[in-house]
Order: sequence, then C-alpha cells, then structure tokens
Amino acid sequence: MDDMEDDTTIFSTLKSFKSLISCPDRSLLETEPAFGRSGLQNLYTKRVELEEAAERVRSHTNLLQLTQEKQQMELSHKRARIELEKEANSSSRDLQREIDRNRELLLQIRRLEEREEKANQALNEQMENNKALKRNFEELHKKANEKDSKLAEADQMISELKDETRRLNQQIQIQESKFSTQNLEIQALQEQLDVQRKKFQDVSQRYQNLQTSHSTSTESELKIKELERRLALQEQDSVIVKNMKSEVARLPELEREIKRLREENTFLRETKENNSLLREETEGLRRKLERMERAMEEKLKVELEKEKLEHELQAWENIGQSTGLNIRKPEDLSREVIQIQQRELNLKQQNYTLNSSIRSVEKARTELMPEIAQLRAKAQEEQKKRENQDSLVRRLQKRVLLLTKERDGMRAILESYDSELATSEYSPQLMLRVKEAEDMLQKVQTHNTEMETQLSKAQEEAGSFKLQAQMKLHCIVFVFLRQKIEELESERQQLEEQNNILEMRLERHNLQGGYDPVTTKVIHLQMNPTSIAKQQRTEEVEQLRVECQRLRDRLRKIEAGGGMTTDDTTLIIPPSQEILDLRKQMESAELKNQRLKEVFQKKIQEFRTACYVLTGYQIDITVENQYRLTSVYAEHMEDSLLFKSTGPVGSMQLLETDFSRTLTGLVDLHLFHQKSIPVFLSAVTIELFSRQTVT
Amino acid sequence: MSKTLKGITLKGSAELVAEFFSFGINSILYQRGIYPAETFTRVTQYDMSLQLTTDAKLKNYLTNVISQLKEWLFDCTVQKLVVVITCLETNEVLERWQFDLECDKTAKEGSAPREKSIKAIQEEIRSVIRQITATVTFLPLLETACAFDLLIYTDKDLEVPEQWEESGPQLIDQSEEVRLRSFTTTIHKVNSMVAYKRTNST
Repeated sequence: MDDMEDDTTIFSTLKSFKSLISCPDRSLLETEPAFGRSGLQNLYTKRVELEEAAERVRSHTNLLQLTQEKQQMELSHKRARIELEKEANSSSRDLQREIDRNRELLLQIRRLEEREEKANQALNEQMENNKALKRNFEELHKKANEKDSKLAEADQMISELKDETRRLNQQIQIQESKFSTQNLEIQALQEQLDVQRKKFQDVSQRYQNLQTSHSTSTESELKIKELERRLALQEQDSVIVKNMKSEVARLPELEREIKRLREENTFLRETKENNSLLREETEGLRRKLERMERAMEEKLKVELEKEKLEHELQAWENIGQSTGLNIRKPEDLSREVIQIQQRELNLKQQNYTLNSSIRSVEKARTELMPEIAQLRAKAQEEQKKRENQDSLVRRLQKRVLLLTKERDGMRAILESYDSELATSEYSPQLMLRVKEAEDMLQKVQTHNTEMETQLSKAQEEAGSFKLQAQMKLHCIVFVFLRQKIEELESERQQLEEQNNILEMRLERHNLQGGYDPVTTKVIHLQMNPTSIAKQQRTEEVEQLRVECQRLRDRLRKIEAGGGMTTDDTTLIIPPSQEILDLRKQMESAELKNQRLKEVFQKKIQEFRTACYVLTGYQIDITVENQYRLTSVYAEHMEDSLLFKSTGPVGSMQLLETDFSRTLTGLVDLHLFHQKSIPVFLSAVTIELFSRQTVT
Repeated sequence: MSKTLKGITLKGSAELVAEFFSFGINSILYQRGIYPAETFTRVTQYDMSLQLTTDAKLKNYLTNVISQLKEWLFDCTVQKLVVVITCLETNEVLERWQFDLECDKTAKEGSAPREKSIKAIQEEIRSVIRQITATVTFLPLLETACAFDLLIYTDKDLEVPEQWEESGPQLIDQSEEVRLRSFTTTIHKVNSMVAYKRTNST
C-alpha cells in the first residue's frame, strides 16, 4: 500500500512537473513574439532549440519518468508480487492448514466411522450374545426342569437307599457280633501261641544247654588227649631221664677226659706252631736254593752265550785270515762282496760282448751261407745244362747219322729208281721197292715216334732228375737252414730265459734292497732306535755279567760257610748257622731213613728165609694181592702155586697154574672138601718130598 | 697350503708323501709290536683311524727324519725309504719295509700344478695303509724284542748332512718278498714292498 502511495506521490509529482513544463513552454511561447523576425527567427530557432531541448528534456524527463515509473512499477510489482507471494504463502499455508484440518477431520471421520462400525459390531455381538443367552436361559430352564424331575427321582432313590441302609446296618450288626466271637477265638489262640512259645523257649534253652555240654565234653576230650600225650611224653622223658642218669654218671669221667684232651690240644698246637715255623723256614731255604740254582744256570747260559759270541767273533776275524783279504770288519766283507759283484758284472759284460760278437759273426755266416748255396746251385745247374746239351748233341749226332743213313738209302732208292727207269719191268719191282720204301718209311716213322717218345721221356726224366736234384739241393739247404733256425731259436730261448732269470734276479735284488753303489748310497741317522737299543743291550749284558760275577763270588763265600756277608746285594740270605743246623738235621734224618731201610730189609730177608726153611714154601708177591708159592721140593723151577687174597679178612683163593693142574686130586680133597689151605700145602710138600725121595 | 689349490705342485706332493710316510711308519711300528700298544694313541687321517705314537723320543726321531726326507723329496734326490726291523738278541734283520720313490723330474718348482684330486690320492694311500695292516696276517710273529731303523737310499752325490751317516743296506738273509700296492701323486710315485726272513717251518 505504501508503494501505491508512493506511486501516487510519484504520479502527483510528475503531474506537477508536467504542469510546470507546460507553463514555461507557454510562457516562453508567449513572451517571445515581441522581438522582430530575426529575433523571431532567433527566437524561433531558440524556441525550436528550446523546444527541442524541451523536448529533449521532456523526453528525458519522460524517460526518467518512465524509468521511474517503471522502477516504481517494478517496485510496485515487486511489492505486489511479494505481497502476492506473501498472500500466496499465507494462502498456501492456510490451504495446507485447511488440508491438514481436512485430513484430520477425515481421519476423525474415519475413526468415528470405524467406531461406529465397531459399535455396530459390538451391538450385533451383544445382540447375538443376548440371543445366545436367551437360548441358554431357555436351555437352563429346561435343564432346571429336568433336574427337578431328576431330583424327584433322586428323592425316590434316596428313600429306597435309606431302606437299604437300614438293612445293611442290620447286617453289619450281625457281622459285628460274629467278629466279636472271632476275636474271642483269636484271643484264645493267642494264649495257646504264648504257651507254645514258652515251650519253644524252654526247648531252645535245653538245646543250648546241650550244645554247651557238648562243647564242654569235646574240650574235655581234647584235654584228655593232651594229658595223655603229656603222659606219654613224660614217660619218654622219664625214660630219657633214666638214660641221662646213666650218662650223667659218666660225666666226671668225661670231664677228666676233656681236661686231658685239652692239655693235649694245647700241647699239639704249640708243636704245630713250631712245625709250621720249621716248615716255613725249610721252604724259604728251598726257595733260596732254587734261586741259587737258577742263578747258576743263568750264569752258565751267559757263559755259553759269551763263548758263542766269542766264536762268532773269531769266525768273523778268521774270515779275513781264511780268505786272505784284508778284512777286519763286516764293512770290509761287504766291500769285498761288492767288489766281487763288480767283477762279476764286468765278466758278464764281457760275456755279453762276446756273445754279441759271436752272434754277429754267425749272422754274417748265415748270410753268406745262402749265397754259397745259391752259387753251388747255379754251378750244378750249369753242369746239368752242359750235360743236357751234351746229350742233345749226342742225340742230334745220332739223328744226323740216322738221317744220313736214310738219305743214303733214299739216294740208293732213287738211283735204283733212276737205273730202273731204263728197264721195263719196273712196276712189280717198283711196287716192291715202293713197298720196301713204305715199309722203311713206316719203320723210320715208328722209329721216329719211338725216338721222339724216348726223347720226351728222357727229357721228362731229365727234367724230373733236375727237379729232384734241385729238390735235393733245396732239401739239403732247407735242412741245413732249419737246423740253423732251430739252433738259433734254442739259443734265443735260452737267452730269453737267461734274460728273464736276470730280470727276476734284478727284481729280487731290488725287492731285497740291493742297489747300485755307483749311483746310490744308503744313509741313516746316527742316533737311530736300533743303535740305541743295541747299546742298551750291550749295557744290559755287561750289567748281567757284573751281577753274575757278584753272584759267583757270593756263592763261593756261602759255600765256604763264612759269616755275615757285607755285600749290598738284594738277596736276603739267612745266617749260615741255621742252614748248617738244618742241613745237619736233614742229613741225620736221611741217615736214619737209610738205616731203617737197611734194618727192615735185613729183617725181612731173615723172616722170609725162616719161612722158607720152616714151611717149605717160598712166598713171593708178584702182583698186588697175588702170592706165588714155590716149594723146596719142586721138581722144576717154574712149578708154583698162585693164591689171590679176596677181601680184607684174609681169605685166599687158589688160581690155576700148570703146576696146580697136576695136583687136581689134592685140590679137590683138601680145598673143596676140607676147605683148608695149610693142609693142602702140607699135602703138596709131602707129595713132592715123596716124589723126590723115590726118584 | 698348496694342497688346497686345485692340482698338485712339487711342494704339495712332497708334503703328501712325507705325511704318508709319517703315518705309515707309525702303523708299521704299531702293527708289528715294536713299541707297546699302550704308547700309541688313535687319530683320524685319510678317513680312517690310525695309531700315532706318544713316546717323545720316538716322535722326535721321526720328525727329524721326515723333515729331512721332505727336503729331499722336493729336490727329487731320494730313491727309497726302508724300515728295517732288527732282532736285538741275534742282531739279525727280520723284516724290511721298502718304499721305492720315482720322482718326475720334469715337475720343477714353477711349473703348472698337475691335475689330480687330493681325494683320489688319499684313497690310494688309504688302500696302501689297509694293505700294510692286512699283511700282519701272513708275516711271521716277532717273538723277540726288536728295534727299527730308517734307511734312505739317495743319489750318490748328495751331501750327507750332520747327524747322518752312511750305512749298509741291512739285507735279510734268506728272505721272502711281497709286493704291495703303490700310489702316485703324478709327481711322486711310491711303490711299497715288504721282505721278511723265511722261517724254518715254511
């Protein structure tokens, strides 16, 4: 609205301005006619200019106005628009509000409608419920009626039942009476039960009493047994006691014996100790003796070794003297050996050279040999050729002679023919001569052929002879060559063998450690283990020798039986007096032994001779437990009886001998029947005596 | 050490051979019972267990000889090494263990190393030492006390050092010889053999 007011003011101002403008225009117009034409023109021009200017101004003002109006219009438009928009907004807002209200109202309407519907539904339901209730009610009514009917029936029933109950009560009473009677019976029975129980208890008590009495009886029986056993034991003890009494009576004697034995024991122990001491001493002495003997043996061995070494040394020294060379040490010997070996090598070399020269000579010889052979062959060939040619010449001469003879014959024939030409009867003679000529021809031809064959044969034979001769020559040459080859091969084999042997010897020499002294030498450290060990050995040997000497001296001193030895030796020899005493004891014991032996022997001999003389039998023990009896009156030396002792009692058995077979009668009588050996023996002596005296 | 390089030089070969001799001589002394078994201790070498002496004097002696031998191997002037076992009672030589050495003189100090693996050489040495141990089965028993000596066969013109002297070859009278295996480092070749006195029972 303000804009409208502004617009109005603007309009009003415009209007006023317009009015102003129009007035001055008029004024201008009105004021200017007074001037002259020029002035009018000037005025006109001025007026025109003014008008133009006014128009311009007007246009400008119009423009401005328009623009202002426009702006105002715009402003007003804007305001209007704004207002309109505001109104629109407000209207829209109102619209929206309305719409919302509408919606809400619609919603309310719907809700209300729904409620209505629900209410309607509820109404309907209520109606239905009502109807249902009504129905129920009617049913209940019916039921009630029925129940009433039933009640009536039930009442009837009740009455009936009451009657029954009365009846039953009566029955019950009857039953109760029965029950009571039964109870009484029960009580009576129970009383009986009690009585029975009491009886049972009595019986059980009695049973227990019985059992106790049984147990007591068994115990008493056991006691009785034990007592009986004790009795028996006591009887045994009494018996033992009696025995003991008898033994006890021996006690004092036993005590006496014990005392005696103890005394003997002590005495024996003392003597045992002495004995052991003596034995130890003797053993010690024996060991010392053994040691001394060993020392002596070792000394002997060392002496032997010394002698051996001396011998060896002498042998080594003698080598020098025996071989006549200047040898003092083994090195000289080795040197000599080396020299000999060198000589040997030289000789071998010479040998080789000689062999090689021989071989070369033989080679030359062998080379010359075939040439010689060839030459010989050639000479022989030429000889042969010459001979052949001689033979040919001879043949040819023979041929020539034959031919001349033929020619002469032919000439004679021709002459005869010529001579016979004049004659007339030529044909048979001619024929004859022709035949003769033909015969001669044939003969000559055969002779020719024969000669030719003979010639060929001879030529062949000559050729074969030539070949044979050549072959023989060749054979001879072959044989000769083969011999040579064999000899050479054998020589070659020998030389090969020698070569192998020498190579093996060389190899062996090399393996054994030999070397060529010209190119090699052998060196070793001076302080090497072997030399050190040898030195130690020699020192040991010297030490042993020194010890040996010392031992010898000691031995001599000991044998001399001197006093204490003052040497600081390791041997512990007891004082010599004890040794002497013990030796004396030993000697005395040995003497005693010997004397006893002699005495025993004498006595035995005496006894045996006495037996022999008195009994007449010589009894010898040949084998253990076998006794041979030889009679005094025995006819032969071998006649003897053999007895064997069986058992320790002293029983004897006769063994079979040749002599005993002759005495079978006596054996049967005295041994089998009478079973007495002395009788048998005496019978045998009587028999033999009788035999002797008779014969 | 030249041994660890690929190939064998003269110096390396000399050391290998000297080492072999050291262990070989110890084995011989142990096997033949020259020194009591309790004076030896077990060591591992060439992939086998060997015996080495603990006796100080003996060790000293062996190191002296082996070190001198190494020098001579380097100069290629040694031809043989011999272990001589002598019976002390009779002063007879009972056994001789001889090792021939062939030296390839073309292998000088500065020449190229030879192609042979250390393992192969050790394998060969192992088989030689095993064979030495096995020979004990057929060698006659040494019942008496014995001592040993080491002899070295060298070139004639070699200068004999101090503490060394010339000696005889100490040959065995009536011996049986057995050739054993050999091994080679391509510069030194070692041939082994054993000679023993023939016993009267054989």
